[in-house]
Amino acid sequence: MRSLRRFLADRAALLGTVLILLLVLAAVLAPVLAPYPSDVFDFHTANRLRPPSDAHWLGTDRMGSDILSRLLFGARITIAIAVIAVGTAVVIGVPIGLVAGFYGGWPGDILMRVSDVFLAVPQIVLAIAIAQTLGPSIENVILALSLTYWPFWARLVYAETRSLKNEVFVESAIALGASPLRVMVMHVLPNIASAIIVRTSIGMGATILTAAALGFLGLGAPSPTPEWGRMIAESREFLPDAWWYATAPGIAIFLVVMGFNLLGDGLRDILDPRIRRGAAGKA
Amino acid sequence: MRRFEIILTRLLWLVPTVVGLVVIVFAIANVVPTDPVRIIAGENANPEQIEALRVKLGYDKPLYVQLLRYFADLLHGEMGTSLYSQRPIIDDLTSRLPATLELTLAAILLAVALGIPLGVVSALRRNSLLDHGLRVVTVSGLAIASFWLAMELQFLFAMKLAIAPLNGRIAGFGPDTVTGLFIVDCLLSWDIESLGSAMRHLALPALTLALPAAATIVRFTRAGVLEVINSSSVLYQSAMGLPRPIIVWKYVLRSALISTVTQIGLIFGVLLSGAVVVEAVFDWPGLGTFAVQSILQSDHKAIMGFTIWAGCMFVLINLAVDVLQTVIDPRSTR
Repeated sequence: MRSLRRFLADRAALLGTVLILLLVLAAVLAPVLAPYPSDVFDFHTANRLRPPSDAHWLGTDRMGSDILSRLLFGARITIAIAVIAVGTAVVIGVPIGLVAGFYGGWPGDILMRVSDVFLAVPQIVLAIAIAQTLGPSIENVILALSLTYWPFWARLVYAETRSLKNEVFVESAIALGASPLRVMVMHVLPNIASAIIVRTSIGMGATILTAAALGFLGLGAPSPTPEWGRMIAESREFLPDAWWYATAPGIAIFLVVMGFNLLGDGLRDILDPRIRRGAAGKA
Repeated sequence: MRRFEIILTRLLWLVPTVVGLVVIVFAIANVVPTDPVRIIAGENANPEQIEALRVKLGYDKPLYVQLLRYFADLLHGEMGTSLYSQRPIIDDLTSRLPATLELTLAAILLAVALGIPLGVVSALRRNSLLDHGLRVVTVSGLAIASFWLAMELQFLFAMKLAIAPLNGRIAGFGPDTVTGLFIVDCLLSWDIESLGSAMRHLALPALTLALPAAATIVRFTRAGVLEVINSSSVLYQSAMGLPRPIIVWKYVLRSALISTVTQIGLIFGVLLSGAVVVEAVFDWPGLGTFAVQSILQSDHKAIMGFTIWAGCMFVLINLAVDVLQTVIDPRSTR
């Protein structure tokens, strides 16, 4: 209860939550909110590249489609990519880190070395290699992001588990005869959950940025999918005249990523007192 | 002695890391169901020609033989031919490295020059209007898609205000190559006109890349300074009558920078990733543009080469950061 009150008092975290709720709302209600729902796939070339007006609040794109409508449907793709990719990475990374940290020894070493190899290259570089090889599609972008993102969670959980392993409550659980699986799931995992939650929030933001970059490079879904990164890429040749074309998806990405980052910062302040002390009274 | 040991261990780890990276990249390239020989042979090749080519290129051998062969080729610096430039991939990668290095170095310098003073000031004036303002800017800086920022900067400064060039690295021919970094080469040959052109071309891409990096540095410097400034050593120094600026900029900053330096390895990764898309937007003739061109051409070999090359660079930089850290913070060698 006290945590909740502190969270509500943190205006930045609250703003983050609102931004994420808006994204979810846009995705769920896209067919209702969009003024021209059919414009995701339809085009009206007579109407192309119109600046913002009463009929088209955010203007129209190179096909004459309503940018606002496409943006709203694009929110679905953004959420799908972020949730599935980060979710998969968590599902792969957390058990690996947990097992490697709990048992240690050479199996743990090998698991961590493998994740080190993945971490040895910037994520987007490896994701480009994977997505390019598999061919451009949303599924492959998700696959590329999950495959390159799990080591971040494995590393985090590994470090946390190792430091918890020698705590008295873990030792006593083992002494009472609890199975290793039970100790890991019932005693270790709840104690590192907050670190995982904080990372997940910030990781969602990072993943949305990487996914948009892949879309921008032409590795995401093919046209006319209303993916935000791809929309920005398509708008490039129409600068400087069609200034509104890139503006809307760019700001959409910015607000969503900001939402997850602010939420992550706020959650960290509440859930992780050690880091809070480390940051010495962050404003 | 301890420092030497650490460096040696890290250097030894470099080998399995790079080997592992090559295996991963190779595995990725081979899970795809497409037949590379068919693509190379072209559409008009008949089955006999394809089989002959398969034997000639070694694709008939088991995967591990192909992998070993790829390793052997790599050791000789052989990565295949780029479909984009029709030159050996390794030549493209080496000749494009200086451009990317110049861009990322400029971005790091800019980020440090902006980030450290702002971080210190932000910590000293904690909860002031300036601090809150900077917090908004840093949080925003980390949330902007770099390719979008690049386009908006192009729109504003190159297209509307026309005070910066739209893209490219220099007007006309570059200076005589000594280091490959145009700014340094211009200075060496004292070619002021080219120097100005190179710097104007560098400004927008470097700024785009520097913004998220600067944001990270501000945050870490701020946290570092806040942690140190309340310590008893600072209280002692004030009690001894040392002037405040000397305490802050000499003693506090030194301890505060330890966490910032650790971040620079990470930041370099962020910059390297950012460079891929930012270079593509500004047509900067570096590794990123090469990667993007190779994507457009579906050039697997070039992408593999780029990935391995970027991985090696990244590993080496992290090694350098570790070494630097043992110099700044002797505690870490214990």
